[in-house]
Amino acid sequence: MVRLTNWLLQEAGTGISKTLSEILVCPLSKQTLRVCEESASLISDSIGVSFPIKDGIPCLVPTDGKILDVDDTMKDDNAAQDSASTNKE
Amino acid sequence: MSCLQLSVPPLAASRSKRATIRCASDRQELFNRIAPVYDNLNDLLSLGQHRIWKRMAVSWSGAKPGDSLLDLCCGSGDLTFLMSEKAGERGKVIGLDFSKEQLSIASSRQYMLSKGCYNNIEWVEGDALDLPFSNGYFDAITMGYGLRNVVDKRRAMQEMFRVLKPGSRVSILDFNKTVQPLTAFFQEWVIDNVVVPTATVYGLAKEYQYLKSSIDEFLTGKELEKLALDAGFSYAIHYEIGGGLMGNLVATR
Repeated sequence: MVRLTNWLLQEAGTGISKTLSEILVCPLSKQTLRVCEESASLISDSIGVSFPIKDGIPCLVPTDGKILDVDDTMKDDNAAQDSASTNKE
Repeated sequence: MSCLQLSVPPLAASRSKRATIRCASDRQELFNRIAPVYDNLNDLLSLGQHRIWKRMAVSWSGAKPGDSLLDLCCGSGDLTFLMSEKAGERGKVIGLDFSKEQLSIASSRQYMLSKGCYNNIEWVEGDALDLPFSNGYFDAITMGYGLRNVVDKRRAMQEMFRVLKPGSRVSILDFNKTVQPLTAFFQEWVIDNVVVPTATVYGLAKEYQYLKSSIDEFLTGKELEKLALDAGFSYAIHYEIGGGLMGNLVATR
């Protein structure tokens, strides 16, 4: 029951656990990734690419990446600035 | 990562059959295709022995409770689940594979299995040649029947080296490319007369015929040891198991 609840909770958000999102880095630049809940993806700001999360599994094969166009990057930049200011290490 | 474009004349049919499963995306498709029957076939073809070899591989990796562990080319998760048992509740295991179908099966198995400690497993779709992990993160890595299938073995070894903590080990289980003529003959006989006919029953003859050329193109134990040392590992030894049919490379960073 607990497992099912955890699984459902995970699926409700982006589908990946916080621990996992902290472990993963961009497969190409090896820099940190940013979780984007809206698009259920992991964003590599260093190279401007987003990687999808499907059925709770992050898809980080380089060819899975989608190059973000400028509008997406600017929208994500604002989100990044907001989250960066609250998540400063 | 582009796929090689092969335009082959009709006369070279047999060579093209061998050549078409060369690039990464073809291999990805192959593993997606065999995913549904992969586990059953492995049991059948090795008479259950693969379970023992996998336990040996995990032992050799040095995985222990509380560790952060990585299982590369995890497929449907056999080695991942064994690593999970070693890591325990305080540990963490990541199962990485480039086949969505295999990961989907692995994830379902995790949900169906009753052991609580399997909650410490996370599945990631990724490429062994471009690992999405930072340097020196893992306490141990396993790779079962994966190295033979990656298109750039040197690069895969370098990536494994990069993500391992100093002093930690990688344990790579695969078929043994034997230099012993009798073992080689036996291995080929088993593939021709047991593996492929059985796979044919499942409609996967072509996929398992790939096995013979794949072993042929693989590296011997000595060559694998050299590959590991060239990648920067300080110590590498290749053990032959399963009567010489299988081999396990253990390399220490």
